[in-house]
Amino acid sequence: MKQKTQVGDIDRSLYDFRYEEDEADFLEGGLTPEIVREISREKNDPAWMLQFRLKALEIFQRKPMTEWGASVEGLDIDRIVTYIRPKSRMNTDWDNVPKDVRETFERLGIPQAERESLAGVGAQYDSELVYHNVRKEAEDAGVVYTDLESAMHDERYAEMIRSHFMKLVPPTDHKFAALHGAVWSGGSFVYVPEGVRLEIPLQSYFRLNARGAGQFEHTLIILERNSYLHFIEGCSAPKYYEAGLHAGCVELYVGEGAHLRYSTVENWSKNMYNLNTKRALVQKNGRIEWVSGSFGSHVSYLYPMSILNGEKASAEFTGITFAGEGQDLDTGAKIVHNAPDTYSCINTKSISKSGGKSTFRSAVTVNENAAGSKSTVSCESLMLDSISRSDTVPVIDVKTDKCDVGHEAKIGRISDEAIFYLTSRGLSEEDARAMIVRGFAENVSKELPLEYAVEMNNLIGLEMQGSIG
Amino acid sequence: MENTKLNILPVPTFSSIGVNYVLRDVSEYETESITVREGGSNEAVRFFEDGQVPFHRTDVTVSAGGRLKLVQVFTAKQPTASALNVTLGDRAAFELVQLYIGGSDTVSEIKTALSGTGAEFRAEIGCALSGRDNLDINLIADHTGLRTTSEIHIGAVLRGQASKTFKGTIDFKKGASGAKGNEREDALLLDSRVRNRTVPVILCEEEDVEGNHGATVGRLDGGQVFYLASRGLPEERIYELAARAKLSRAIGRVSDREAVRRIYSALGWGDEDE
Repeated sequence: MKQKTQVGDIDRSLYDFRYEEDEADFLEGGLTPEIVREISREKNDPAWMLQFRLKALEIFQRKPMTEWGASVEGLDIDRIVTYIRPKSRMNTDWDNVPKDVRETFERLGIPQAERESLAGVGAQYDSELVYHNVRKEAEDAGVVYTDLESAMHDERYAEMIRSHFMKLVPPTDHKFAALHGAVWSGGSFVYVPEGVRLEIPLQSYFRLNARGAGQFEHTLIILERNSYLHFIEGCSAPKYYEAGLHAGCVELYVGEGAHLRYSTVENWSKNMYNLNTKRALVQKNGRIEWVSGSFGSHVSYLYPMSILNGEKASAEFTGITFAGEGQDLDTGAKIVHNAPDTYSCINTKSISKSGGKSTFRSAVTVNENAAGSKSTVSCESLMLDSISRSDTVPVIDVKTDKCDVGHEAKIGRISDEAIFYLTSRGLSEEDARAMIVRGFAENVSKELPLEYAVEMNNLIGLEMQGSIG
Repeated sequence: MENTKLNILPVPTFSSIGVNYVLRDVSEYETESITVREGGSNEAVRFFEDGQVPFHRTDVTVSAGGRLKLVQVFTAKQPTASALNVTLGDRAAFELVQLYIGGSDTVSEIKTALSGTGAEFRAEIGCALSGRDNLDINLIADHTGLRTTSEIHIGAVLRGQASKTFKGTIDFKKGASGAKGNEREDALLLDSRVRNRTVPVILCEEEDVEGNHGATVGRLDGGQVFYLASRGLPEERIYELAARAKLSRAIGRVSDREAVRRIYSALGWGDEDE
């Protein structure tokens, strides 16, 4: 008898462990001005930030939900705990991190990755960062990698943060951007000075351990002219029956001639609502590369946006979405060409299986001032059974004649001919199907950091076990 | 005057782009029904011109084994709305040819239910817009029957400050095993103030299907212009030829000579044999 597995089941052995929380550390659930004031007090916000939070709360309360996208009916914001007091202050030495928190990150392989292949690590547990460290050579080159709260109180960066924080993603953008503005906590601040090329990546890992809680980290990255950075973001949570919420925000400022590669592997548990907003502003000759793997969460809304604001700026988005049982993953990308001779490329793959639903949603806008721009979009979807669903909803909005925009999309299943050929070469049908799915995902997996690519390939292999017969 | 939501995108998307629906007053309308009997064959041509009732609704039923070619030509300068609802039985074949020539404000919806086994739907659409012309098309091919096929092609030329939105949805419903759907849009933009929005949607809840869509939007390829110029063609003529090419595929499907003459006249192309 063949072994039947599920993505969530197999992968949870790595992610689905948890430690008991002291509920005295939880702020009351729901969202009121009093709670927002308390969060602000706990975090010792400057006065402007408290005012910002309260204004964002007002916007959240009057802003309607979007009329499109996956259903978020199961999410009751009045039951979500928006802030959990940290067990300890942020540390730069893992030995000083509380034992259960340290063990969590050890099991996720973060300290090992830091030793072997990273220039710096930030680790967030529930609402606050518990660990942040950067290699001396990066620090000596002037690279700043710290938590946003510390940076906000450092006179060298305070004004920089005030002038950039939620300017790319204002709270008016949508309801969950407003929510984020009101209750944000944790996240990272990265500053790369002019001409500095950090060849080894930085990584932030976000872990939500608490039951019925939300995580609202804010990542702010500023790259000065001609600098380079590879930033990796990972996230996971153990599974609970209660809904959890992730409404993070990422703002990326890519200066003239700078190059930022932003890789994300999202593996939230299947009780999570992942309503995340990511946006990059790219100046002349600058480049943003997004690499995105979406495997977890119950519902996702995720469309990283690149605003190409300077001549010859470019953006590339490479993404894969794997929707299994009980998942509704609405993912894609947005590009705005807002200067001459800009270039963009979107390349995505999505796989639907065991009743999962994946939606590819994109918007490419070429403005009047973007003469000479080029854009290409390619999305491919693979249906592995007839109880799943896969939709593609791209929009191309062109406002000038002097551009070239192309779009290609395909949807289908694994062809019988391909299976026949591979089985005639000696492979079992099951292995043949797994090989084809791996090949389908290969152009994305090869862009992922190695350890994530290996994990994704294993995941596909395990998922395909028992998928025939 | 009361506005109604028309051309509703089957799966709404980012509201800021403004493609989810349009609002128009459709209080005054006329309807027409076209029915093709089992095994029957028919061809119909309709022109929508100024002076007619501005909202038309056409209901088409093609029974088992029947064939219908419907040509619709929109040349009205007045605001116009059209709704075409088609139901196809087993092995029924429906070919739709639509030409949009000018039109200050045209809203057109085509809904085809491919419910019969082996039903076929082919659409050839050509658009020539200029000045401040505004066109919104919402085409939906619903595949519910086994081994159904849809082939959709739209060629468009935009000049001046013309604006066009094409929403094309291929919807593979559960049970539409063996269905295939292809959709292709080629939009040639010839002025810096035009606006072209393309929304090529594929919805799928059936494994055994094949769906493809593609779109190219923008200017004429520089290599082609160079080649034709090197053969002695003036630049103005090159662009004219390219514009004609975008429409000729749809016009080529019109077999009624008088209709072709009227189309050429509306396009200002002179006689067909020139």
